[in-house]
Amino acid sequence: MRIIKKISMTIAAVAAVGLMTNASADKLDDIIKKNELNCGVVLDFPPMGYFDKDNKPAGFDVDYCNDLAKALGVKSNVLNLTWADRIPSLVSGKTDVVIGSTSDTLERAKSAGFTYPYFVFKFQVFSKPGTNIKTFDDLKNVKVGAPIGTTYETEYLSYAKAKGWGKGNYTSFKSENDAYLGLYQGKVDAIITTNTNLATKKQSKEFKDYVAGPFVPNYDDVVGIITKRSEVAFINYLNLFLVHQIRDGKLEAAYQKHFGTSAPESLIQSLRDNK
Amino acid sequence: MDYEFHWNVVLNAWPQLLDGAFVTLHVSVLSMLVGIVIAIFLALGKMSEYKAFSYFSNTWIEIARNTPALFQIYMAYFGLGAFGIHLSPYFAVFSALVFINAGYLAETFRGGFMSIPKTQYSASKSLGMNQFQVYRYVILPQMFRRIHHPMTNQFVWSILMSSLGILVGMNELSGETQRLQSLSFRTLEFFIAAAVIYYLITKFVLFVANLVSKKLFKGDI
Repeated sequence: MRIIKKISMTIAAVAAVGLMTNASADKLDDIIKKNELNCGVVLDFPPMGYFDKDNKPAGFDVDYCNDLAKALGVKSNVLNLTWADRIPSLVSGKTDVVIGSTSDTLERAKSAGFTYPYFVFKFQVFSKPGTNIKTFDDLKNVKVGAPIGTTYETEYLSYAKAKGWGKGNYTSFKSENDAYLGLYQGKVDAIITTNTNLATKKQSKEFKDYVAGPFVPNYDDVVGIITKRSEVAFINYLNLFLVHQIRDGKLEAAYQKHFGTSAPESLIQSLRDNK
Repeated sequence: MDYEFHWNVVLNAWPQLLDGAFVTLHVSVLSMLVGIVIAIFLALGKMSEYKAFSYFSNTWIEIARNTPALFQIYMAYFGLGAFGIHLSPYFAVFSALVFINAGYLAETFRGGFMSIPKTQYSASKSLGMNQFQVYRYVILPQMFRRIHHPMTNQFVWSILMSSLGILVGMNELSGETQRLQSLSFRTLEFFIAAAVIYYLITKFVLFVANLVSKKLFKGDI
């Protein structure tokens, strides 16, 4: 008898879970109903996402989260993610949307739902003083690092592979901050990073003598907002949101605030052209 | 759950996963073997009458057993880095694992040593054996037979903790998994595959450890 009881309880539990998932309306409805937007941002990537002096989330991506929540008329709840957490957080429902500088590769688009681009980065070499890196090929003879699982790591590794450099000179780091720490401690001579993060770091006293080097050849890092692939209606909404960010001057405002200059015409044009 | 599993992505990345698995096996087995040798000395040290020897062993064991592995691996890499000592990610993880393995195993070994009656030492001595021979032929074989199971527990721990190598950018199984999932965003598939590989590595190491113990220490484990 006990075994029958056990089995029936298990079936009941599975059925209960099944019923709960069946009842899901679409994401856009859910967010409006619960009156809260759970928005994931990588807060280890200034000036797009970081913790400010009061340990509050801040940055370009955080502003976009708040703009989105405001547009939806709901409360904004910014969650800190690592690069690798982005997809699991969406799949598990911890976040509704991730505004986390996610490169829109076709490979990834098989798993996540991407919006149109909302920003374009350049990948750039940042090296310690005296390393003398003029072109990307000069990296051949120095120790290079990058954060694990980023597109710039992938780009460097495929470039190195094509040139036959091997992996001997390469070190990956757990996070963006660890890569900068590794550079500062001299574990590596140069790191691959984004032009925006580099510009922010170069203003600190630790890195002011470090050298901003060449860009990764022939590569623009075009990033989009991601959500679950199946949420087509929500992705439509997000695309229109991005159009409005440009049209209503919100992009300009966020850019001014976090980069100190006006948003470049070329950036706005490429976002308008979706490329 | 509205998630479709795409296993072919994992199959395509199989060679890279195996490379990572090999590094995991390599670093954990090597750190165990070195850890065992050091642990024997630490255990003898803790029971020793020589103050300096026992202080040294005690300090090692206390730090290894009572601080997080995560902290030790991070310190071996970035902590020493702050003093200009640069270990490679592999060596940082290897030395941290050796340090912890030795600390834990020392206590296990000490228990093993103490479970062997004192009379056996004097009996062996009276047969004309020197100190080394007493340990080599009488004490160690019995001790290893008795502590076989707690020792293999530590093996398992060592394999699983090597996954913390990801903290310092080591390309072991977890690091490789992390990199692969970021390319395709097939996170769940890759993590499940990694878990299966960890399970297989653990089973394999336990199997070999049992064989070796049976051969070396003669008798049922």
